[in-house]
Amino acid sequence: MRLVKVLSRTLAVALVSVACSFAAETPAQDSVAKSPAKDSVPQSPSDIAFSHLYVSIEGGEIYPWGDLMDVVENSVYVGLGVRYTYWENFDGIVHFDYTYFKNRMKVVAYPGVHQAMGRLGLDWHGRWIRPVMIGGGFICNWSRADGGEERNFDKPGGTLVDNETEFGYFIRLNVPFLKYERLRVGFDLLWEELWTLPKRSNMLSAGFYAEWRLW
Amino acid sequence: MSTMSLHKIFAFVCLAALPAFALIEPETEGMEAVSRDDGTFLVGSPTYAFDRKNGAGGIHSESELWAPEKLRMRLLFNRLSETPSWTPHEASIWLRTGNELGDMIYQDPLYEKDDRPSNRTPILEGGFRSPAFMGLWATARLFQVDHYSDETMRTRNRYVDDSFAWFGENWPMFSTAYGGLGYTGHGLNASVLAGEEYVWVFGESSRWIPIHYSPRVEARADFWDLSLTLAYENAEFQNRKKSESGTRTEWNGSAYYRCGKLCKDGMLWFGAGVQFRTVEDDGKLYTGLEDDVVVWPFAQLRLTPLKDLSLDATFGVNNRDWLLLDSIEYKIAALPRLGLVVGEKNVAGTRLNPIADTEEYFDGDTISLAADGSMQMHELYVRAEDSLSVFRLGARVAGWIEHGAETFDTTGFVNDRNLVYRHGDVARIDEWIQGLSGEVWLGIDYGEMFSFTALGGYEHIWGPSREFEVSPVEYYAAFEGDWLLNGTFRIAHSLRYRSDARWNLRSSDPKVIKGDWYWDASFEQRFPKYGIYLSGTLLHVLSDDVVQTPNGNYDRLRFVCTVRKTF
Repeated sequence: MRLVKVLSRTLAVALVSVACSFAAETPAQDSVAKSPAKDSVPQSPSDIAFSHLYVSIEGGEIYPWGDLMDVVENSVYVGLGVRYTYWENFDGIVHFDYTYFKNRMKVVAYPGVHQAMGRLGLDWHGRWIRPVMIGGGFICNWSRADGGEERNFDKPGGTLVDNETEFGYFIRLNVPFLKYERLRVGFDLLWEELWTLPKRSNMLSAGFYAEWRLW
Repeated sequence: MSTMSLHKIFAFVCLAALPAFALIEPETEGMEAVSRDDGTFLVGSPTYAFDRKNGAGGIHSESELWAPEKLRMRLLFNRLSETPSWTPHEASIWLRTGNELGDMIYQDPLYEKDDRPSNRTPILEGGFRSPAFMGLWATARLFQVDHYSDETMRTRNRYVDDSFAWFGENWPMFSTAYGGLGYTGHGLNASVLAGEEYVWVFGESSRWIPIHYSPRVEARADFWDLSLTLAYENAEFQNRKKSESGTRTEWNGSAYYRCGKLCKDGMLWFGAGVQFRTVEDDGKLYTGLEDDVVVWPFAQLRLTPLKDLSLDATFGVNNRDWLLLDSIEYKIAALPRLGLVVGEKNVAGTRLNPIADTEEYFDGDTISLAADGSMQMHELYVRAEDSLSVFRLGARVAGWIEHGAETFDTTGFVNDRNLVYRHGDVARIDEWIQGLSGEVWLGIDYGEMFSFTALGGYEHIWGPSREFEVSPVEYYAAFEGDWLLNGTFRIAHSLRYRSDARWNLRSSDPKVIKGDWYWDASFEQRFPKYGIYLSGTLLHVLSDDVVQTPNGNYDRLRFVCTVRKTF
């Protein structure tokens, strides 16, 4: 039931955001499309790269998936992002987020885990879906238990007492739905898979961001 | 030649030594064995690998053989290695991190102790080199590769006092930090670096020997046609288990002259140099250098009596050893389009690495690292490459014979937890070994945008293979693809297979390293206008997790990402 509730809530927000996005008067991704050079001479990728740069703050909720739902609770995340023009229909994205997962399992000797997340990837905004963007890339998560003792390394949750880092990939849907001058507000839905063992670890996150165009 | 720094020559030699296809960058410089399979490339640690290209001639690995191009490599016991590299980068700032994939994170509490995989370990690197101001620049770098550390960690950590690294508690095989100043201009390229380093080197006894360099200082200068190197090393040895400790104070370096403008258009080119080491040992050490000093003078000669004929020779000699590396190569001009080359190369000498220590002390035994007599290897090869439109087709066939090849005369084994050590001495195989090898490659190149190479090789060796340290792989196949999209996004793939290899002398039963497929993939965003490069690389995706060298560590699937900004 928990999963159904999360899914329906996320889906509803996503659908409303997409509707708002297409209804918005100005396409969110106007940076390159409106560039005067585009109508005359096609711009080279090196001219497009970093021709615009955006910084953002973001907040939302992360939902552990599958077996992980028994291990940690849903949690709130906050983060900072940078987006830059890369190619005509692609933006580069860099994100740093933080969250704190509370434990569900009583056998674990600490109350929760600090997690920092770094993401590096690309957003595609082809003309048929603009201003919505679909993206993907690599993810690097750093985790450390909030307490615990290193001598309990072999006990449940013991490996997180020392720092642990793991990589993986993500795909995401980026739906900007409000634009005012240099400011843009949007919804971000992200699916990630970490290359953990014995099984891979999946999580879904949904959040809102406010983005400011620096140039 | 005169303005070319030794660094550039090294780079050129390294590139020339690489296979015909592009490489995917490994964790750090000198770990290229990780992403090569065009021969026998077995990695047990960032500080120890067996690296022998198919058809290289002889049964030794490349890092065992001294050459003038390796003067600035690190001497790790009796092998020459680029890792850990003290060569300054170009002006830039960079960060690199990565991990062997498979930490448990939140899977951890779901599994009982017996079902949990062993710990995965990361890499960490950060550094910069400033732009030059009036020719002066500064640099600093901290880097350690914790990959390949887990399997031997619990055995090794009993020998040292603390975590034996700059960061973390994975007892990585090396952990290095240095900083320094340099000057580039007026025909001079000079630098002085000082730092502290933790490194585990692999002995002939198969032990991992911990060395703490505190400090290590290295100065380099390239000017006119001369390259000078001088290093001071205060090396601390210890064995906590036996409460042993010792110190080696070492000075080493080289002076190397290469004929520049004088020889530019002549038929004769020459170079000469001298490399030296002098050590002062105090307390309990595990290796020894006869007379505490080695001085190794050498000379190089290249003769081109005809436009298409060249003869190269490098000869070094001192009171203990001599080594000759020479080759003859003839380009058959009658078939210019075919690029047909016939060549012959020879290696002969008393030791493959005459600057290395001469003894190892293990468990009351003195292992001699210098065998009596000498070895000789002779190889004859034919190489051809033709191109038609965007296609490239090439082949190389070689045959070689070797007598007096270096081996190890094992007299006994000792167990230490999960590791096995050996007693004995370096010896020679008093027989002729013969090898026959062939390689073919097909390439497609479309400007800078796309290149693809398929490569295959086979080698058969006749001789007393059970006396070889490693029986090399018999065949391999490799497929390399490299796309550069819009000049700013690079996707590189490398899919390779190699057949079995076998370690014969480091355990009572030979250790077979099964043949396997390897897939590496790299993705890179490039911003040449701004000098920014962001890359993510997956290494060894398809292969099984195996230990590729005796007493080595698991070779695992891993991910490495790098952010670099050049100035």
